[in-house]
Amino acid sequence: MLNWQAAGQAVVHHPLFSVGLTLIAFQMATWLYAKTRKLWCQPFLVAMTLVISVLLLCQIPYEEYRQNNWLLTIWLGPTTVALAIPLYLNLSRIRQLFKPIMLTLVIGGAVTSALVFILGWLFGTSHSLLMTLAPKSATSPIAMLVAENLGGVAALAAVFVLLTGVLGAMMGPWLLNKFQVHNPAARGMALGLTAHAVGTAQALHEGEECGAFAAMAMSLMGVLTAVALPVAVALLS
Amino acid sequence: MLLYGLTWLVVFQLLGTAVSVLLVPMLPGPIVGLVLLFIFLLVRGQLNESIQQAATTLLRYLPLMLVPPAIGVMAYTHEILEHFWAVVGVLVVSLALSLVFTGWLMQRLIERQARRQEEKSC
Repeated sequence: MLNWQAAGQAVVHHPLFSVGLTLIAFQMATWLYAKTRKLWCQPFLVAMTLVISVLLLCQIPYEEYRQNNWLLTIWLGPTTVALAIPLYLNLSRIRQLFKPIMLTLVIGGAVTSALVFILGWLFGTSHSLLMTLAPKSATSPIAMLVAENLGGVAALAAVFVLLTGVLGAMMGPWLLNKFQVHNPAARGMALGLTAHAVGTAQALHEGEECGAFAAMAMSLMGVLTAVALPVAVALLS
Repeated sequence: MLLYGLTWLVVFQLLGTAVSVLLVPMLPGPIVGLVLLFIFLLVRGQLNESIQQAATTLLRYLPLMLVPPAIGVMAYTHEILEHFWAVVGVLVVSLALSLVFTGWLMQRLIERQARRQEEKSC
């Protein structure tokens, strides 16, 4: 008698199962996007849906999946560093547009944070939740730190950052098309400033210039959130 | 050599981590590493082909690497549902508005600058 159940459990809980799952889901999603070219088939979201479905089906806890994928995620750091290269390659364009960039960063960054406070006040969110939502457009390590300092919840801040990134990358291209923002520099700036790394990944997909501006906007917004948001909150309250 | 470029990127991330702990604890190591590498390239004035190759390879797989952390949303379904209206109202609405606003503003500013330069050259 063959022990099918034991074999199944051995496969599902093998560390490589989680890695294989990520790889297969990602390739299937990319393939689907290339075939259909539909915006709602955003590869990142399709891959996420596939992975979550399999994890739920096989009853693999998130913690186990995350730990087994360390080989992939450890490269996130060097990849962030690698964003310096598109920045450097587009240096002349960035220099040329220096004033628009700085103006958009300061005004756009301020509006992004102000909108959170205004909407939070309208929806009657608690102070702690508001402080957790405020840094949502920065990358998660910055957002977690800032949220904690402001009296928010760090773990929840990471979730809001993730949601912001995923939704931004999904709605971003569609929204920007709707409002006729076609300039690659402007699209990159919007995606990187509001949807950090996931937005930047989407922008890189659109083209090198778009990606370079997203990478720059992401880093600048991160710095701005870390430095200016605590000051703004202190001044307001 | 791809490995040579990858090594550089890893070294800069570690440098960034060191500088972050020593001087700027509010900024994460990889972001500091990005800035350091950018400054290094500016000072050096040229880009090593191997670093470029490594960067292009890694950046192509950035969405793939972001999948595992993004799945973390799953672990917080309960918290998200609990704060559902705050999430929908504040997060989604402010995200959509600021995305459109930033893109629109940047495009307007670029167009304005281009117009001014044209006037100057006339």
